[in-house]
Amino acid sequence: MASHAATADDALYTEVAGQRLLGFLFFLISDCVIFGSFIFVYLYIRNASPVWPPAGVERPGLYLAAVNSIVLFGSGATMHYAMEAIRRANVRRFTAFTVATIILGCMFLSGQAYEYTHLHDTWAGSTFGASFFTLTGMHGFHVFIGVIFLITVLVQTLRGTYTPMRHFGLTAATLYWHFVDVIWVALFFLFYVY
Amino acid sequence: MSVADLGHVRTGHIHPPPDTFVKKYVFSLDHKVIGVQYFITSGLFFVLAGLLAELMRAQLTGPNNHVLSVATYNEAFSVHGSAMVWLVTIPVLTGAFGNLIMPLQIGARDVAFPWLNMVSFWMFPPAGILLFGSFLFGAPQAGWTEYPPISLQMPFGTSMWCMAIFLIGVSSTITGINFLVTIVKMRAPGMTWTRMPLFVWATGVTAFLSFIATANLSAALAGLFIERTFGVPFYDPAKGGSPVLWQHVFWFYSHPAVYIMILPAFGIVSEVLPTFCRRPIFGYKAIAYSSVSIGLLSFMVWAHHMFTSGLQHWEQFAFMALTMLIAIPTGIKIFSWLATMWGAKIHLCSPLLFVLGFLSTFTFGGITGVLLASVPVDIHEHATYFVVAHLHYVLFGGSMFGIFAGLYYWWPKMTGRLLDERLAKLHFWLMFISFNATFLPMHWIGLHGMPRRVATYDPIYASTNLFVSISAFVLGLSFLIFAYNALRSAKQGEVAGPNPWGGRTLEWMISSPAPYYNFDEIPIVLSGPYDYGKPLPYANIKPELATVPTH
Repeated sequence: MASHAATADDALYTEVAGQRLLGFLFFLISDCVIFGSFIFVYLYIRNASPVWPPAGVERPGLYLAAVNSIVLFGSGATMHYAMEAIRRANVRRFTAFTVATIILGCMFLSGQAYEYTHLHDTWAGSTFGASFFTLTGMHGFHVFIGVIFLITVLVQTLRGTYTPMRHFGLTAATLYWHFVDVIWVALFFLFYVY
Repeated sequence: MSVADLGHVRTGHIHPPPDTFVKKYVFSLDHKVIGVQYFITSGLFFVLAGLLAELMRAQLTGPNNHVLSVATYNEAFSVHGSAMVWLVTIPVLTGAFGNLIMPLQIGARDVAFPWLNMVSFWMFPPAGILLFGSFLFGAPQAGWTEYPPISLQMPFGTSMWCMAIFLIGVSSTITGINFLVTIVKMRAPGMTWTRMPLFVWATGVTAFLSFIATANLSAALAGLFIERTFGVPFYDPAKGGSPVLWQHVFWFYSHPAVYIMILPAFGIVSEVLPTFCRRPIFGYKAIAYSSVSIGLLSFMVWAHHMFTSGLQHWEQFAFMALTMLIAIPTGIKIFSWLATMWGAKIHLCSPLLFVLGFLSTFTFGGITGVLLASVPVDIHEHATYFVVAHLHYVLFGGSMFGIFAGLYYWWPKMTGRLLDERLAKLHFWLMFISFNATFLPMHWIGLHGMPRRVATYDPIYASTNLFVSISAFVLGLSFLIFAYNALRSAKQGEVAGPNPWGGRTLEWMISSPAPYYNFDEIPIVLSGPYDYGKPLPYANIKPELATVPTH
């Protein structure tokens, strides 16, 4: 019986997707720990230093970072609408919003590249540069991976891999993208505001 | 009935049986084969790291020996410590026992992500090669903790150390995620949390520690590596960094790592005791929840390794008090185990002997641990042989005796054959006596003030050190008995049958060694595993396999 087989198959998919989702959440938690560890390093060195930023070091400008943050948070919103679309099986709407997310992600990366090339401080130049370039670099790398992740799931969606019921890959990509957003909130506050 | 016809939804983790040698024994997806791969690889590294220890003891037979140069001695103790922690104890207790036993005990056909499991194993041998290969490029000399600034000034071997430990850290993070998902999501129907075997509880908490704490280690190592390679200032005080910062991030991992190295051994003890005492474990829930509380407390005590690194007084006091709190859940376990044995008809087989060895030596090491947690004592004993004695009582007397208890206990399940009991007992007594003869006197010379990690010493410690070295050589030889026993068992060992010890957990309800898919039908669990004297609490188990023990 085809319908019966489909049900058992769906149940299996749900079970496996549940395991993968939990595994992916654990991965994100351990990734959080890695960022948290470097943030601790930054705060520790900052706290131990008599002046901050260290003498002769200029902090990066707030305006470019603020624009870049708006771009990244905007991509979080478009990602959210893309997921809403796939739940309603609206592939066209999903495609539009995912492409928008990818473009916003690339804009963020370009903004970061511009910022990096116009800073006087370097990675090995000061204790500020050490933490700044390590943390924002790690974050930028995560955005880059996220863009690749999104391009992959977009291609898969256009090929019909995902359905309204079966889209673990999309869930994972969305979670990852929101995770990268949240990390940026902390980094923006630490390096540009605090 | 073949597994594919079961029509049960729990078929998601079935991968086709391997058809080539490489798929079966090299890049295997089967958790049991991967478990054995971990055992063999760690065993090789154990021999190498053990030989380094014997070289160190050869150097220390006399006060001004020249067996090793001072630099080589430093390299030997650094690589010995790193290898024993990351290449032996952690992989054996998590990768090997966790893979081999945990899925069987929860009635699963494999771990949640078999492919990741394989990848995770294959990060491990390269890590070992990098670590031992560092001798060719100037091995690390700052001990297994690699404190800066020394670790920043050493040649390329220290960078290889960073890469090796980073690799093993990633591997251990992946394994931790994999195991915790398996335990949360893949228990057999009816196996509620409080019906899980205690080894599974221990493995679950260890898995949690692995992916939280080890991620932090990866970050710390990445920092050290990029500082060494690109001159990025994190830890170098000359450039505004802080060496104490390294101690914070390193110990924030490495104190939980101490429990990664002991909790699975606690789990093994909790499995062996009820089986050989033939009675329910005393305080099942107390043991299970104390594992959880040890796991949580382990994140709050890291700075007790840093009492001499210039902490504030209130920090010292807080870390002292929190550290001493850990004695409570540990004590709960020790007393529950003793109560399990109280008045029981004890079958003194080899696994139980090793458990008794574990209980006596680990308790001793635990008590010196409470002494060292006390700030005034620690300031006096810091970096002396007292610390060496303490850590070997918990890691050798605890973890290693636990590992051998588990090996003797599950060897029949792993290989299908029994080990020779008389040789096993000989191994135990030789190991137990020479272990104590090696490490007990270190307490005394430590209290007298002999510093650790130095290739020479004051001649007044000469006779004690000679005695310690001779005992250490005997201790090394005692493992040959195990090696001989293992080889002998492969050739002429008695066939074990499914349940040689009369265990009641699920791994004993299937044939030995376990078949490829473990369970033809997923068992249904009706109550907890340790109720000796009651009928077996499983449905869907072949009755002929669940019968009484033969030995």
